[in-house]
Amino acid sequence: MTWIVRNLWLIPALPLLAAALSALAHRRHRLFAASAAIGSMTLSLLLCLIAFAEVLRLVSQEHIARLPFNFDWFQVGSEWLKLGWVLDPLTAVMLVMVSFVGLLIFIYSVGYMAHDDNFTRFFCFLSLFAGAMLGLVIANSLLLLFICWEIVGLTSYLLIGFWYQKPSAASAAKKAFITTRIGDLAFLLGMVWLYSQAGTLLFYNYGAGCLEQAALMKLVTQTTSLGIAASTGIALLIFCGAIGKSGQVPLHVWLPDAMEGPTPVSALIHAATMVAAGVFLVARAYPLMAAHGGGLGLSLASAPALKVVTWVGAITAVFAASIAVAQDDIKRILAYSTVSQLGYMMLGLGVGGVAVGMFHLITHAFFKALLFMGAGSVIHGCHEEQSIRRMGGLRKLMPITFATYAVGMLALCGFPLLFSGFWSKDAILHAASTWGVSRTPFYLATLGVLLTAFYMTRQVLYVFFGESRRPEAHATSPHESPGIMTLPLVILAGCSVLLGLIGTPAWPWFSAFINGQHARFELRGFAESGVLTVMFSSTAVLLIGLGIGWLLYSNRLNAESASPDAFEQFSPSLFNLLRNGWFVDTFYGATFVRSAAWFSDACDWLDRWVFNGMIHLISRLTLGASRLSRSTDAFAVNRTFDQSCRGAALSGRLLSRLQRGRVQSYLQIIGIAFAGFVLFLIWGHHG
Amino acid sequence: MITVSYTAILQLLLPEMILVVTALLVLAVDLPISRTAQTRTRFTIGAVISAIGCIGAIAQIVRVPQQANLFDGTLVIGPEIQLIQVAILALTVLIVAMAVGSSFTSHVGEYLAVALFATVGMMLLVSTVNILLIFLSLELLSLSLYVLAAFNKLSSHSAEAALKYFLFGGTSAAFLLFGLSLLYGLSNSTNLVQIAHAIKNQPLDPFLAVAMVMIVLGFGFKVAAVPFHFWAPDVYEGAPANSAALISSSAKVAGFIIFYQVMVIGFAGAEGSSDWGRYTAGWVPVVAVVAALSMVLGNLVAIAQTSVRRLLAYSAIAHAGYILLALVSHTEQSFVALLYYAITYAMTLIGAFGVISIVEEQAGGEKLSDFAGLSRRAPILSLCMLIFMLSLGGIPPLAGFFGKFLLFASTLSAGQHTLGLLWLVALAIAMSTVSLYYYLQVLKRIYIAEPASETGPIQVPIARQVVLCAIALSILLLGCAPNLFLTWLRQPIRIAHF
Repeated sequence: MTWIVRNLWLIPALPLLAAALSALAHRRHRLFAASAAIGSMTLSLLLCLIAFAEVLRLVSQEHIARLPFNFDWFQVGSEWLKLGWVLDPLTAVMLVMVSFVGLLIFIYSVGYMAHDDNFTRFFCFLSLFAGAMLGLVIANSLLLLFICWEIVGLTSYLLIGFWYQKPSAASAAKKAFITTRIGDLAFLLGMVWLYSQAGTLLFYNYGAGCLEQAALMKLVTQTTSLGIAASTGIALLIFCGAIGKSGQVPLHVWLPDAMEGPTPVSALIHAATMVAAGVFLVARAYPLMAAHGGGLGLSLASAPALKVVTWVGAITAVFAASIAVAQDDIKRILAYSTVSQLGYMMLGLGVGGVAVGMFHLITHAFFKALLFMGAGSVIHGCHEEQSIRRMGGLRKLMPITFATYAVGMLALCGFPLLFSGFWSKDAILHAASTWGVSRTPFYLATLGVLLTAFYMTRQVLYVFFGESRRPEAHATSPHESPGIMTLPLVILAGCSVLLGLIGTPAWPWFSAFINGQHARFELRGFAESGVLTVMFSSTAVLLIGLGIGWLLYSNRLNAESASPDAFEQFSPSLFNLLRNGWFVDTFYGATFVRSAAWFSDACDWLDRWVFNGMIHLISRLTLGASRLSRSTDAFAVNRTFDQSCRGAALSGRLLSRLQRGRVQSYLQIIGIAFAGFVLFLIWGHHG
Repeated sequence: MITVSYTAILQLLLPEMILVVTALLVLAVDLPISRTAQTRTRFTIGAVISAIGCIGAIAQIVRVPQQANLFDGTLVIGPEIQLIQVAILALTVLIVAMAVGSSFTSHVGEYLAVALFATVGMMLLVSTVNILLIFLSLELLSLSLYVLAAFNKLSSHSAEAALKYFLFGGTSAAFLLFGLSLLYGLSNSTNLVQIAHAIKNQPLDPFLAVAMVMIVLGFGFKVAAVPFHFWAPDVYEGAPANSAALISSSAKVAGFIIFYQVMVIGFAGAEGSSDWGRYTAGWVPVVAVVAALSMVLGNLVAIAQTSVRRLLAYSAIAHAGYILLALVSHTEQSFVALLYYAITYAMTLIGAFGVISIVEEQAGGEKLSDFAGLSRRAPILSLCMLIFMLSLGGIPPLAGFFGKFLLFASTLSAGQHTLGLLWLVALAIAMSTVSLYYYLQVLKRIYIAEPASETGPIQVPIARQVVLCAIALSILLLGCAPNLFLTWLRQPIRIAHF
């Protein structure tokens, strides 16, 4: 076991330390907070790269590409609760991605938050988030993962509500916390169930972990009263946690609202890393997800849990993309797009395995972080304006932002060959097209590609092309952002292009790496059945989407910001439906929130009238009893006591009269006492 | 006649001799500087020498454990006696330390020398079972105390108190001597053990009864038990505070111990019984009556006092009543309880008199009203007084509480019949409840009452402050961890089979 495996804990510990230090720092120690956060993140990134290199070395030397390190935490009864971390390709890839994107966003934040009073607090939360996220990634125990999972949930809450003075931010934070908590409850149940069945929460423990052969065999053979295997039940419960965290239907409602947070937060937490934690969880627990009666992961199509993952992913991908079409807020469009892309990742995990889903996770993290930071740059440049209807013409004013944003947009749409999104999305589509159960997810995913191309075209046209539609009130014109913000954009744009190279069908290095194998370069990969067909068809669909967007919006660029949207003119009712997100929020408000409010009213009534009434009754009775006892005390006991006290004082005064100060009388008393005692003894003896 | 080498006797009496030499040294040192130096300085020098002498004596006792019984009980030395001597010496150290910086008399050398002679009297008193030597050393002690009480020659109170003390003491000494001679007549021996042997199987004849009552009277005077207590309030009030501390602390400890020894050893077999409803004539019922009277009278009269010294005098009478319970039960356990109680009580009183002396010097009196608002004027002093008063009242976790607990528990478990002495213990507990009233009266003045308007902070001499704090701390410590002291007490007593 090498140094890096034993000391993998340092990676999350460093940002946590930075968070602790800046939590103690005074508000005005801005430079300290920022440098602690960035410095710790840089060190973490270096350690992550060392870990990555270590995994590369292990894979190339044909070792087992997974090194767990476990330790005892505390004793429960006779059992030791163990925690630990694990280094494998999945961890290594995530580590590098999280720390790299995180570092870039930290640097970007220095510029973005420069004018905020609570700069120090912001970096404290960011560091805490980074530490927890990295801890989540290295966790080798479902419990440790859950702990980190909850901490990232907490930091998400804190950062969405960072501007808590705004009511919308405060309520968005609350909504995010409560919504994800629903999923977490199921996750917790699944974890408890897993512990009761497998007796351990360690993922890998040299054959004794809960994701290893022995435990899985046991879980698969146990059937619950519902008729499904225990493994399926547990997997579905854990997946509920992922649904909440990754904003999958039906718990996606919090993620668009979470855009109330500062834009770097949206980029880091609600696009690149935290929301991907749900996807990572499914990837981490993949052996459990894929376990089913017919064997372990022999045929993915027949694992019931993965079927659910697939369908949820496919539906989310299309559903969220359709809502994005009709949004005006630049960040909300990207938020729905994120939900949609997370759906693609789930779909990829469901139909194609860990590598397919994870590849899209990694590429998406880069280009979505790029898009969010580009959006942040736009918002920053336009003086906190977020509506795309009131932008326009920024292409010339913000050239770097425009160029990088365009790269991100093309990557997100999956523009052929050059952009990473193309390769990762295509891998998903190809896997979906060959799924044995149904071809519907493939069709849905293709429809999603069309919608994605359409809404991104709409957004880019509105923001960067045409003339400015900004209200006249704004005196200053938009400006390009400072270098500290544009530099990360450029770096991310480069990554968004280059990352595609490691996952082409000709050189599937990424999937080979995830599976601990060697990749070989051969063009034959393209010749595999269906690969080229899927590529061409998806490219065609993409071009159709771009074309429709261009047709609808390019000739209306200079219209007034208040005039109706082109799509709205085309079909007002559909536009309204999509604009309101299929009225899911309204539906939740009318059903769950309403019923919860009704239930809390009922509880309040019960509390106020029934329980309080009983308490009042009891308190009245007690008061009555105490009054009774007080009067007994006052008239019977106290009077007696006072009298005896008076008696004591009186007798004291009387007795002190004995002490007259005359020695003669004292001696007389002694004589009397002597006679008295002698008589007492003698009389007593005879008597 | 048994031949004993005189060097052996000298060695056995080395601690006492150290004290005598120290006393002479104090006199000698004080003489040349008496004209030139200030009284306070002379007191400081003399007190330091005396304290060193006492500590030297303690060191000698601790260093050379002795075990001897010379001349048929005339001189008895053993671990338990050495332990008591160490305790008496330690109390004397505290008392002379409290004298540092005093100025109540100009006869500094004489004062300290007499105090040391009194200590020698106490040490001899506890190390003999011969009634003659008991009487002699008791007289050495008493005469020293009369002189000490009179030392404040400028105060008519002091002279009056000393005279009363002397008259009273003389009368009771006469009673005691008469009682002892009757005892000798009955048994033809001066050794307590042999006396007990002689009177054991005789019926309680009138002579024995008279002797018994006379001896109880004599010692009852010494420990200030009702109805032989009349000297106490006057002496406590009139004597210099330092003398009062000596009279009420180490002299009391020695008095109780010799009372216990004479009654328990000398009258073994003539105890009688004071169990409820099972009265049998003997010394125990007499002591029980004395104890009960002391508790009732001491506590009740203390309520009516306006002088803190008189209040402490009556409280001392009450405490004598509690301590006499140990004689009534006279088991090994109750002797341990007696020692624990008497020693911690003595420490508390030394502290209380220390506080009183400071208040007298600074506020001009020791009436309750002089203590008003003391907490604002001298917070540390007040805190010490709080601990002393609460300990006297028997509030946990202070030593006074644990002493009472030990005493009452050993009394309850003694008795010839189960719970036979419950009546006495119940009375004692009821009376200690009453006692809280007047202790809290003192504290109420200190903590709640407003100080007189023109008064400022009190200057507390640093040496006395340190000693007071040490006493207060050890009272707290002994109450919290009584086993520290108890194991130290129990071991030699178990060996000696009292």
